[in-house]
Amino acid sequence: MKLANLSRSLLRSAAAAALALTVAGCASTPGANNGEVAVSDPLEIPNRFVFAVNETADILLIRPVTEVYVGVVPDPVRQAVHNFIQNLMGPLYIANNLLQGNFEGAQIATGRFMTNTILGIGGLADVAAEVGLQEKPADFGQTLGVWGLGSGPYLVLPLLGPSNVRDAVGYGVDTVADPFRIWGNATDNTDLLWGRTGAAGVDRRSQVLREIDDLRRNSIDFYATVRSLYAQQRATAIGGGATPATPEFPDFDAPVKP
Amino acid sequence: MLTRRLFLVCAALLAVSSWAVRPAAAQSADPGATAFIQKLGNETVATFSNKSLSRDQAVQRFRSLLYQGFDVPYIGRWVLGRYWNSATQQQHDEYQKLFEQLIVTTYADRFVEYSGETFRITGSRPEGESDTMVTTQIVRPNGPPVNVDWRVRKRDGTYKIIDVVVEGVSMGVTQRQEFASVISQNGGQVQGLIQALRQKVGQRG
Repeated sequence: MKLANLSRSLLRSAAAAALALTVAGCASTPGANNGEVAVSDPLEIPNRFVFAVNETADILLIRPVTEVYVGVVPDPVRQAVHNFIQNLMGPLYIANNLLQGNFEGAQIATGRFMTNTILGIGGLADVAAEVGLQEKPADFGQTLGVWGLGSGPYLVLPLLGPSNVRDAVGYGVDTVADPFRIWGNATDNTDLLWGRTGAAGVDRRSQVLREIDDLRRNSIDFYATVRSLYAQQRATAIGGGATPATPEFPDFDAPVKP
Repeated sequence: MLTRRLFLVCAALLAVSSWAVRPAAAQSADPGATAFIQKLGNETVATFSNKSLSRDQAVQRFRSLLYQGFDVPYIGRWVLGRYWNSATQQQHDEYQKLFEQLIVTTYADRFVEYSGETFRITGSRPEGESDTMVTTQIVRPNGPPVNVDWRVRKRDGTYKIIDVVVEGVSMGVTQRQEFASVISQNGGQVQGLIQALRQKVGQRG
């Protein structure tokens, strides 16, 4: 009974994903964001609205909760929580690396997952990093980008924050394909799933506490700053770490050619 | 018959392709740029490790290191992008002044709160027509290392940094896109940006 529901919902999600992909494909902006072209943001007005709502939620709730978390919970415990949550993403990282044809990345991700799960006591300790296997996230939005799909218009998602059409679809696919989520639903442990989601949110927020404060304080247009940072980060991630197309830095004092 | 034709076609293709594919310009990274970054980095670490400086002194030192290392007027103009040409000389002057103050207020604090980060040069490569990209890694006491690339240009015999790329994200591009957004939100008027800068810099004082 549950399996039938699961496959039906998977099928529905896949169909939605396929439709969204087609839309995104039509609206794709060619090439990486090289700084010469502004990020494509035809939905700027609704995006700014959602951004403002997210900001309010962050300032009133998420950030204060995270500050308490950071203040109360000792650093090694927070590190263990972070390691555990990240380790749960292991299978998705492996799968996405394979889909991108990045076999070295898949090897590293597999090594990390196995080492940390077994030697790292179920993922609590990031033993793999100590032997040089650094974490490198890989998500399905990145996979789609590697396959050549353009990002589509910039989107600000409620709570999730900056994204774009391609990455939002990718996030959906990753969520549906997540083995931990499938296990949680199959064994009726949905409260654990919610717990994981909450903990992951606070953990992620705690990683960038100072940086976001800094950016907020120093930006004139924080929305535009975040939009630019997000687009560049994604371009780098899809470029595989190789420098994306760099903008021109002309010589302003050179004599103008006639 | 077929093989002779094939041979001719191949020969023709080869001839065309060798003409069309020019060898990449034998441009190598400038070792002077790397030495410049090393020196600037060492000076910065030495300056801010000295905890006996007052905050004002530290900010002053930051300002002088900033001008020593970065071509601030160039960066200011580059960041304004296509709007530079539509601004008056008076706007140029005020903008550059405010831009410099913004940089100082934004970044000085981060350096003053320096807590033992070190850096190491990991390489360099030519970039653009004559620039050098010096790649470094900032090693932090708590947290994974951060890859920072410095775009160095040589002008009149001196080296200056004209862009900083942190983990693939260019600070110049980010600033430019933010300013462009502010200007377009103000109906394409540079004056709107100048007013916003006045407010922002005045606030942080």
